[in-house]
Amino acid sequence: MNDDRFDVIGRVTRRQDGHAMVTGRQLYSSDISLPNMLQARVLRSPYPHARIAAIDTSGAERLGAVCVTPEDVPRVKYNERQVSVPAKTYRDRTVLPDKIRHVGQGVVAVAARTEALADKALDALDVGFESLPAVFDPHEAMRDGAPQLHDAVMLGETVLPIERNIACSREAVEGDVARGLEEADLVVENEFTTGRAYHGQLESKAVVCRPEADGGITVWATTQSIHNTRQLLGILFDIPLSKINVQRVPIGGSFGSSIQMNSSVAICVALALKAQKPVKLVLTREEDMYDHCKYPSNIHLTYGVKRDGTLTAGHLKTVVDIGGHNIQAYPLLGCMAGWFVSLYRLPHLKFEGTAVYTNKAPACAMQGYGNPQVTFAVESMMDTIAEALDIDPIDLRLKNYVGLGETFWGQGPTVRSVIRSCGVEEMLLKGRAMVGWERRGSPARKTGRFRRGIGVGRGFHTSGTGAPTPGEVIDYSTAMVKINEDGSVDCLTALMCHGGGTLEAGAKMVAEELGVPLDRVGISPSNTRSTGYDVCTHATRGVYCGGASLLRAAQDVKKILLDFASRIIDVNPEALKVQPDTSRGQGFVFLPGAPAKRISVAEVAKTAQIKGWGSIIAVVSHRQVNCPPCFVVNFVEVEVDTATGQIRPVRAVAAVDAGTVINPDLAAGQLEGGLCRGIGLALLEDTTYKPDSGELTCGGYLTDYKIYTAQDMPSLEDLSTFFADTYEPSGPFGAKGVGEAANNATAGAVANAIYNAVGVRLTEAPITPERVLSALTREAEQLQQGR
Amino acid sequence: MMTKRRVTLTVNGEHVEPLVEANALLVNVLREELQLTGTKYCCGTGQCGGCTVLVNGEPILSCLTLAAAVDGADIVTIEGVAEPDGSLDPIQEAFLDHGAVQCGFCTPGMILMAKDLLAHDPSPSEEQIREHLRGNLCRCTGYHRIVKAIGSCGQ
Repeated sequence: MNDDRFDVIGRVTRRQDGHAMVTGRQLYSSDISLPNMLQARVLRSPYPHARIAAIDTSGAERLGAVCVTPEDVPRVKYNERQVSVPAKTYRDRTVLPDKIRHVGQGVVAVAARTEALADKALDALDVGFESLPAVFDPHEAMRDGAPQLHDAVMLGETVLPIERNIACSREAVEGDVARGLEEADLVVENEFTTGRAYHGQLESKAVVCRPEADGGITVWATTQSIHNTRQLLGILFDIPLSKINVQRVPIGGSFGSSIQMNSSVAICVALALKAQKPVKLVLTREEDMYDHCKYPSNIHLTYGVKRDGTLTAGHLKTVVDIGGHNIQAYPLLGCMAGWFVSLYRLPHLKFEGTAVYTNKAPACAMQGYGNPQVTFAVESMMDTIAEALDIDPIDLRLKNYVGLGETFWGQGPTVRSVIRSCGVEEMLLKGRAMVGWERRGSPARKTGRFRRGIGVGRGFHTSGTGAPTPGEVIDYSTAMVKINEDGSVDCLTALMCHGGGTLEAGAKMVAEELGVPLDRVGISPSNTRSTGYDVCTHATRGVYCGGASLLRAAQDVKKILLDFASRIIDVNPEALKVQPDTSRGQGFVFLPGAPAKRISVAEVAKTAQIKGWGSIIAVVSHRQVNCPPCFVVNFVEVEVDTATGQIRPVRAVAAVDAGTVINPDLAAGQLEGGLCRGIGLALLEDTTYKPDSGELTCGGYLTDYKIYTAQDMPSLEDLSTFFADTYEPSGPFGAKGVGEAANNATAGAVANAIYNAVGVRLTEAPITPERVLSALTREAEQLQQGR
Repeated sequence: MMTKRRVTLTVNGEHVEPLVEANALLVNVLREELQLTGTKYCCGTGQCGGCTVLVNGEPILSCLTLAAAVDGADIVTIEGVAEPDGSLDPIQEAFLDHGAVQCGFCTPGMILMAKDLLAHDPSPSEEQIREHLRGNLCRCTGYHRIVKAIGSCGQ
């Protein structure tokens, strides 16, 4: 797919960082080694809820280890995620805890010359725990007399008492939902749950901290935001930001798990400051699985609908089990409201969300931030309504979806904007033809052990969190673009690439704008001391928000370039154009129709240097005033084995409306990966806990926490992707995001496909073979009783 | 203190004699002693395939293998897949051309598994490719483009 409007945008090119990745030269945090570096290990709680009675580190210290205990670290209460404005940030944790709130929580950390010695030192620690009653179910946690995890937390600078373990709650109301339900011809309601899936990034998260001679620190950490990591370390350890340098290091997959500063980062810094030597801390897989998971959901959903399929009202109530700490539950609930109301038009609506502490690993954002959870419930209900009213599921969606020209508030009640690009109809209709929708048939007519069904799921994500007003969440990016004296270009930004090609897209935008060949545009290494602030690469904002800042910097640079060129070739700068000449590996500035008025970008830059005009350079901080929806449509075909309950995805079509697609093959790769994780959420993934010990049932091992392998996905021929043909007016070169959208609609599509196969509505994800079999048995018994 | 012993290895064509502890894992010897960090430590318990290297031509999980147990072996890591002059192996080229690389963390293991497969069967079917990669996890790509890239190398 090549777009004639552009030179490099929309063209398939090799990613610049790919060569390092296929040759093993890409260095991740765990690959960093420094002279004189110590290795760290952390003693973790075996109890889900406990007081720390006594700590004796003398045995470890006799082995030469440096130890830090809760007594040795700053007592500042902090929130590891620094994306919300301070007044809306709930702070409930310290570097090492005052009390244990989940199994696997770090208590004491040691650093020694080798990992083996650090392990010995860990064994030599003597820590006494006083076990407390624990609570693992959010509904039980809200009962009177339930064990209390937190007495009080900080909200901004205010002390906030915590009652019945409720971390926070949120409500959104428009119209009168009771009236809307009265006006309906049909009212449907159901309960839906999704699991605490584990992010499962392949990288073992790591951090290296080197204390510097000036009292500062340099940090290499697995993070999605180097600037927020720096700011938080500055607050915790009282070091001026000018002396904290956090390096951007490639990340080995993240899926939201490093939006927050990982708990290991502050622990490693504390060790390094005490040892006054570089310290490295690499988490084991088990430690990592006790450190984060997806927000699970428990949703009660009610819709009112007219006989013709027009929705009259929607009411969504949710309880979210956030685990031992509140990372970002308040904005999560706002977004869950936003996802709910922005999928389908609701004249009357109500959202009620409650986030509850339990003695489990803290939940955090994971691809979709509540969106796959809400969309699973909503898309399941759309099919229920369609069947009850005998309307085709696609027609029902086309009738009610929030689209072009309508107001939407995907990022929550305070972030409203009007939709200016929308490919929903195109994707539903094209996908319907591609998947062979007419083959789906009625479940009542399907017989035999293996039954196939086709389902549709529709959804969206916002491209970033930008809005015209400042709001609750910070969103802007800074970029510097510079034309070098040989005509090549440096781009400097704190934006991250998680693998999806965000920085590659940024380079393409700069190349396009400056008319310089793509291979002459480099993404510079970056750190917090050489870049302006960038909030975080999260919320599907990389291309739309981060890319826009790079484009604006390139536009400013282009003005300087043309101004300098005009001085040399004596042409009004506004009449000049730039274009790459790939055969000569250069960009050229020229006056169309006048062959003599042509000069290479290199010559302009070199002349400017020699004559002392200055560097061709610009820095821009830019906030997008919109966060347009990138819509998705998934069609999934499954095969259900009615004897074992096993479900196999056999065919899929995934489409996204990403506006102008910058990197077609990488964007398609996002859709394929999102589909795989979405099917995992639907059918496979959850972290469950042993009720007696509070330990993970899987023990933290990937052996017992399954994710899909190459054998489980549909074949090359049976998995297709495509892009809607749209242009987002507010996006850089018309682009929106892809990222999280890629998995938001999948679980709903899978549940609808299962229903189409066997005629049973499964509402608890993961839809395991056990759940399928018990639902099929229940259905058979009811049929028998009915007869 | 554990006694160290010298093991003799050929790693990416180079003769090396690292001094290792009896319980040292190959992954750590490669990454720390020989500073070949392209071999990835992901799960540490043989569940994900990220630490795969070729030992005497066969893929093994270096996080479950004692360095002492492969004394005398010929080892190829991801750093040894390209030609000595830096030109890429056709599999590496295919991974780049098909967008088979996202975060890159599983890539070394995937490429070495592909090397192994193509060494035994120059034109594997899609099913054989998927079967061969079943022990190598990738969280980013959904495997689609990895399978496609390897398939494109078949004759």
